[in-house]
Amino acid sequence: MAKHRWVFVVSCIGVIVGCASKPDAESVRAHAEAVVAEAYPGMPPALTQRAVQDDDQKLCSRRPDEKLTSDEARRIVDAARASIKYPASGALAGDWKAGEKLVANGVGMRIRDGRVEAAKENGALCINCHALDPKELNVGNLGPSLTAYGVQRGNTEATLRYTYEKIYNAWVYFPCSNMPRMGHNGYLTPEQITHVVAYLVDAQSPVNRK
Amino acid sequence: MRGRAVLIALFLAAPPLGAQNDGNGLAVGRQMLAEDNPGELWVQRGQRLFFEKRGPKGVTLERCDLGLGPGRLEGAYAQLPRYFRDTNRVQDLESRLLTCMVELQGFKRETIVADRFGTLDKDSDMEALVSFIGSKSNGVKMNVPLAHASERETYKIGEYIFHRRSGPLDFSCATCHSDEGKRIRLQELPNMTDPKQMQVVVGTGWPAYRGTQASVRTMQHRLYDCNWQMRLPDLGYASDMSVALTSYLNTRGNGAVIQLPGVRR
Repeated sequence: MAKHRWVFVVSCIGVIVGCASKPDAESVRAHAEAVVAEAYPGMPPALTQRAVQDDDQKLCSRRPDEKLTSDEARRIVDAARASIKYPASGALAGDWKAGEKLVANGVGMRIRDGRVEAAKENGALCINCHALDPKELNVGNLGPSLTAYGVQRGNTEATLRYTYEKIYNAWVYFPCSNMPRMGHNGYLTPEQITHVVAYLVDAQSPVNRK
Repeated sequence: MRGRAVLIALFLAAPPLGAQNDGNGLAVGRQMLAEDNPGELWVQRGQRLFFEKRGPKGVTLERCDLGLGPGRLEGAYAQLPRYFRDTNRVQDLESRLLTCMVELQGFKRETIVADRFGTLDKDSDMEALVSFIGSKSNGVKMNVPLAHASERETYKIGEYIFHRRSGPLDFSCATCHSDEGKRIRLQELPNMTDPKQMQVVVGTGWPAYRGTQASVRTMQHRLYDCNWQMRLPDLGYASDMSVALTSYLNTRGNGAVIQLPGVRR
């Protein structure tokens, strides 16, 4: 607990002027990381591991005034591209009815008292942020409306591929998008993603109903 | 107990406060609730607890220094978190109360932490004390000090963590709280890049009475609950991370006129 504070005290003794002014970014980062590492006392290591960032999360954690360079954006896109795995069946559009259940399901992987909630499968969380079925009003707007997605984009092979990849790892098309990398992070399985793809593009799906 | 269940049912039955609450019935309902705030019960209980001889040492909290001197409560909350010389750390109201209850009253830390959030069966003493002490800054403007190097460092750490993405959903605080008019389903999300919205957030809670939970909840609970939704582990109570985030947010709400406890869904 006191370790990083000692680091801070020692660095203050060394650089009194530095401490009197604003702390520099690197020392803030180091102290903040120590603070995060100690933020979850008594939790199993498998769970605290979730708070450890991968390289791309680090790049995507900047303040709005600290833009990515084009090289960094390229690195994120390349890593995202390399991360994508496709379903064993090869079919990118699954069962839209299974997708319909997934998109409204907000359950999965939450932790209380050191235990992961029990759930048959993780929900896809879609309507927390996106409008889909025009009849469903209990939808969020952190992401764009996807109502009539299939009407607008059709269900060509290119659309299926784009949609699957976007859900699997959104950062391949939009580096540092707010959208979670659902497949890459192991939150959804490739098969689950195919069901969501079908729900988005299928002409029978409520998303595309007139 | 039963009254509480009815209260919760009322909140759940009411449609959540949607995006378009300007001049509609929901805004009116919210205003009515604020005028008859159940949080006042927590304030009264907190006042009684503060001046009661409690704990193994059987003393009141009147010697507790919340930054303005022992027992001085008026305006104390408005200047938290701040650096405390005796603990050599920056503390928010809850971590400071924890120190006082352990050092002055002789409570075990684990006992206080176990009681940090009330349940339907048992109210939390901490939630009551925070309500009372928060209300002692009513009418005062939020004015978090950044004079001490540790306070500035803590603020910067909070800013860093606010933007730090992690977990299986790649979320940071900023993911949900950086844009205008955003919602998760129908739940409105304050835009924390907007100073005006930060004034509301900081001025009227936390602590705030939460209708859906039929209890006052504190800032520590708010952060704990966000961590839960982000699929991160249980955020340590009074952890340095919770204090740093509170420092960042409260400071950005500086100037807000405090009116606590607030009322939230």
